[in-house]
Amino acid sequence: MPVAASAIYFLNLRGDVLINRLYRDDVGGNMVDAFRMHIMQTKELGTCPVRQIGGCSFFYMRISNVYIVIVVSSNANVACAFKFVVEAVALFKSYFGGAFDEDAIRNNFVLIYELLDEIMDFGYPQNLSPEILKLYITQEGVRSPFSSKPSDKPVPNATLQVTGAVGWRREGLVYKKNEVFLDIVESVNLLMSSKGSVLRCDVTGKILMKCFLSGMPDLKLGLNDKIGLEKESQLKSRPSKSGKTIELDDVTFHQCVNLTRFNSEKTVSFVPPDGEFELMKYRITEGVNLPFRVLPTIKELGRTRMEVNVKVKSVFGAKMFALGVVIKIPVPKQTAKTSFQVTSGRAKYQAAIDCLVWKIRKFPGQTEPTLSAEVELISTMAEKKSWTRPPIQMEFQVPMFTASGLRVRFLKVWEKSGYNTVEWVRYITKAGSYEIRC
Amino acid sequence: MAPPAQSQRSPSPSQPSGVLIMVNSKSEVSDLKLQLRQLAGSRAPGVDDSKRELFKKVISYMTIGIDVSSLFGEMVMCSATSDIVLKKMCYLYVGNYAKVNPDLALLTINFLQRDCRDEDPMIRGLALRSLCSLRVANLVEYLVGPLGSGLKDNNSYVRMVAVMGVLKLYHISASTCIDADFPSILKHLMLHDSDTQVVANCLSALQEIWSAEASTSEEASREREALISKPVIYYLLNRIKEFSEWAQCLVLELVTKYVPSDSSEIFDIMNLLEDRLQHANGAVVLATIRVFLQLTLSMTDVHQQVYERIKAPLLTLVSSGSPEQSYAVLSHLHLLVMRAPYVFSSDYKHFYCQYNEPSYVKRLKLEMLTAVANESNTYEIVTELCEYAANVDIPIARESIRAVGKIALQQYDVNAIVDRLLQFLEMEKDYVTAEALVLVKDLLRKYPQWSHDCIAVVGNISSKNVQEPKAKAALIWMLGEYSQDMQDAPYVLESLVENWDEEHSAEVRLHLLTAVMKCFFKRPPETQSALGAALAGGIADFHQDVHDRALFYYRILRYNVSVAERVVNPPKQAVSVFADTQSSEIKDRIFDEFNSLSVLYQKPSYMFTDKEHRGPLEFADELGNLSIGEAANNVVPTQMVEENDKDLLLTTSEKEETKGSRNNGSAYTVPYDGSSTSVFASQAQIESAVSNPTLAGHSPQASFAIDDLLGLGIPATPAVPSPPQLKLNTKAALDPSTFQQKWRQLPVALSQEISVNPQGVAALTAPQALLRHMQSHSIHCIASGGQSPNFKFFFFAQKFEESSNYLVECVINTSSAKAQVKIKADDQNTSQDFSTLFESALSKFGTS
Repeated sequence: MPVAASAIYFLNLRGDVLINRLYRDDVGGNMVDAFRMHIMQTKELGTCPVRQIGGCSFFYMRISNVYIVIVVSSNANVACAFKFVVEAVALFKSYFGGAFDEDAIRNNFVLIYELLDEIMDFGYPQNLSPEILKLYITQEGVRSPFSSKPSDKPVPNATLQVTGAVGWRREGLVYKKNEVFLDIVESVNLLMSSKGSVLRCDVTGKILMKCFLSGMPDLKLGLNDKIGLEKESQLKSRPSKSGKTIELDDVTFHQCVNLTRFNSEKTVSFVPPDGEFELMKYRITEGVNLPFRVLPTIKELGRTRMEVNVKVKSVFGAKMFALGVVIKIPVPKQTAKTSFQVTSGRAKYQAAIDCLVWKIRKFPGQTEPTLSAEVELISTMAEKKSWTRPPIQMEFQVPMFTASGLRVRFLKVWEKSGYNTVEWVRYITKAGSYEIRC
Repeated sequence: MAPPAQSQRSPSPSQPSGVLIMVNSKSEVSDLKLQLRQLAGSRAPGVDDSKRELFKKVISYMTIGIDVSSLFGEMVMCSATSDIVLKKMCYLYVGNYAKVNPDLALLTINFLQRDCRDEDPMIRGLALRSLCSLRVANLVEYLVGPLGSGLKDNNSYVRMVAVMGVLKLYHISASTCIDADFPSILKHLMLHDSDTQVVANCLSALQEIWSAEASTSEEASREREALISKPVIYYLLNRIKEFSEWAQCLVLELVTKYVPSDSSEIFDIMNLLEDRLQHANGAVVLATIRVFLQLTLSMTDVHQQVYERIKAPLLTLVSSGSPEQSYAVLSHLHLLVMRAPYVFSSDYKHFYCQYNEPSYVKRLKLEMLTAVANESNTYEIVTELCEYAANVDIPIARESIRAVGKIALQQYDVNAIVDRLLQFLEMEKDYVTAEALVLVKDLLRKYPQWSHDCIAVVGNISSKNVQEPKAKAALIWMLGEYSQDMQDAPYVLESLVENWDEEHSAEVRLHLLTAVMKCFFKRPPETQSALGAALAGGIADFHQDVHDRALFYYRILRYNVSVAERVVNPPKQAVSVFADTQSSEIKDRIFDEFNSLSVLYQKPSYMFTDKEHRGPLEFADELGNLSIGEAANNVVPTQMVEENDKDLLLTTSEKEETKGSRNNGSAYTVPYDGSSTSVFASQAQIESAVSNPTLAGHSPQASFAIDDLLGLGIPATPAVPSPPQLKLNTKAALDPSTFQQKWRQLPVALSQEISVNPQGVAALTAPQALLRHMQSHSIHCIASGGQSPNFKFFFFAQKFEESSNYLVECVINTSSAKAQVKIKADDQNTSQDFSTLFESALSKFGTS
């Protein structure tokens, strides 16, 4: 059996119960105590997200200031349980409108109980799709001051929808203006050695969509990925156009994508859910264009002085620019005084994280600002402990740039009523874990 | 244990008024009662809103553990409402308290049954769900009717709830469920319902019901088999895309149990499921992978292709999602890598740690890096691991040094690695030095040819900078083993011997004894005084093993020095392979349970959950807060476990057989406890074990010359209590109920307080460690529990070839390092002997 969870608990950081839902009797009522005693109050907290205490296994995840704990008594499917928690949190967020934290839970605990009843029955996951659940568990149900009978009644055929075949979209949607928004969001992960060689580099990207379309539209998306282009040129028996093609290492799709068709024709075709959703995720390791190069030189001058020089080069097109660039340069704990010179942006020393934080709000392409700093250290008696240098970390966003080079070639919308649609496509590249050792 | 103190709780400003204000819960509750009663009959406008506020209060009290069951009657009275949210809150409340108020629960039956006939399918479903969640055994008769009509309801939501209801009913009263013939209705629904969630729920319910029934009814086990028959599997597979992602996991899990008749069927299934590898839900992907791996077990070539195919999706899963999810996936990757290291060897960069990752992910990544290392990538991997050695996270730094060592022992590019290890020794960080020393020791055991380079560096390490017992022991071992190459070895050893009394670790003292002996044979004049001092210190030692070894060395020296040299300093052979800690059968068993907890715990499921063997522990109350699960583990009579083992272990090979491939009919000798003891037992111990025991016994009249040589005045007959002549049955078996019965009947034969040595206390972080230790002394645990500082254990042992039992209750307080022991025995005469045995076993804990 995949999960058959015996109980779910929501706890705050002190270990107080915010929500408890017992699905089965095979675990005792003192499971929360067991969790508190054996995990929360020990050093083991955070050392492993799965723990066995007595005959029960505890899966726990921390989400902002809340722990969600699933208790099982059998040999459960762990991946499924964690995925369930992640999905459940996404669902709660879509109900609360954003934050999921202790306050949100306390304010909405009745709603959460309602949802927990629907998304899991007797320990087996049921329907977690927000689109469907929102049809019959309405936030207004909790909020509205003058609840009257008709408004509380679910949409007549809501329960039919609950389990229907096209579970992600209901029929009869009408929009005045039919619009589709498509965002390609990539995050670049980089690990660079102190000598400047790339140890590890990959891109995880996702395509986010927002659909406001009437009826039951069929969408087709074409990308400049290698397999898709090759297949297309095969089908049309003409040589593929020259130009950059991207090799995707692995792709996963939202359940609405017709995977059989993807496998045979290599095109992404789907009936989209209404509103926002994540269409696909992909991973690329070859041919990644790094948007930034960081060239650090850190010299320890004796025991009380350090000299830090960091040059950051933007490698993308000169017409583009990056936003919200933050470079965190680590310094030793015993830093006493710092002085900077930067050619762009602002820098300051943040003692709480032992870093020089250099912020550049707008960072044009093909430029290379530098930071040079002098750091004075308090001399300590324990000179033996040499400083272990953590890596330099970087955050940024580059709009209209994809590190992988992925582009949308076409996005076709087809609906039987034949309405016109407006399509919007955006690209953005963010820093994932962008680390440079120094 | 107590519910969180209420005074701590301060309502946050953003909360709606009155939700969580705890003033005085008792008066609050009676206040609520009054208000509810006023509202119960009222039909004034807005009354639902006031009810909602009150209900909310009640539920929030309930959540934090305040007993509001006294409101049961009022809540039921207020439940006559058309407000669906109110209804839901009321159902929740009723579900929680019906069990403790079975009489009052009867009150709710009426309105729930009425709601089950409501025109709104939503309400019908909700009412049915709540009705089945009451969990009151004497109300089951009221369930059958509504469930029967629920299963036939024309609304799928109600049917879906009803199916789960049947399963709930089964858990309350199995006979009622079977008598009403619900399982066969479910079977029909499963095969014919148009709604996939109904089908999925039927599948879960039937799997549970028939697995539970299978042990008693042949028909049920036939039905269980029928679930994995070709028609059912094909029916489900063909609809798989319609199922929700969670139901897909369920179906895929079922498919793994299916044995296709020929290879074309296997390919059909794989082709059908291939696109599942692209599903966004990682659980579906893992479940699909499991199907692929299981199906192709017998087809070696295809199995390899499967590894290639699943690589990319797995690596994606690792890098996407929360750290917890990555952890689960990495555990599976680790399992796969152990089976096919070469598959991932070119992807080693995926396992480089990121600075901010949680340590549990980093630890698994280190294991992955170790596992995928081969000729081509060793250099890069070791370079990367060396970066982590300077990590701020000290446990990870240690792990990474150990990883370097493990790679070295895998024989790739040893040359470069030895250099690195020696650099570690020069880093001058305590923990780095400590770990590196242990590694250098293991390396030398495998590659004695490197001794020259290593010893030069090791010789420079001051023993004063090494504090950790393991590292110190390693250093001392090297001092003894290579004393001829290390100029000042005798003097270093001598200074260590001088501080004999300050050395707290018995392991170190044992090594010190052996090292001094070795050194003595290589450089006698320089070592003589140190040896004398060491033997004197050892014989006076309170630790049994140290004492024994010192005495043994002393006697063998007196008997014949050249024999002693042969025993202590035999020509050594390099260790070629360090044994694997886990048997391959266990690994296969874990592989069979892919995509479950087994993989994370790295042990087969029967080791941590075995419901069939989990006897009713009625005296659990007496045991207090003891963990039943642990008891279940140990309660299993050993013979049964072995059978169980064979049975379980058959699965992989059996499957292979049925699929017409080679059956590796290896001997099924499986250790009862999967975690076999560490193979890195110190070589010194092995050496002493190697020595012929008859030699030691031989000696009394042997030469006393050595006495003079040592200049010692050791009494010839040491005052050691003779070991009790009591042999215990290593495979003792006792079920909990007998234990319990005996414990009640027998008088306390012996009650005493034993002090536990500090190493034992240190090792007792969790009860399990002691259980394993005692088991190695043929003393078995039946139940255990507690946490620091108080641990409580119930042990039992059996006399060898006799059915005479010893029962022990042992309460260990780690802060005072004392154990309170109560012994009860069938045979009172031998209880003293057993007590001695028990005491000696306990005293060895933590030192072996």
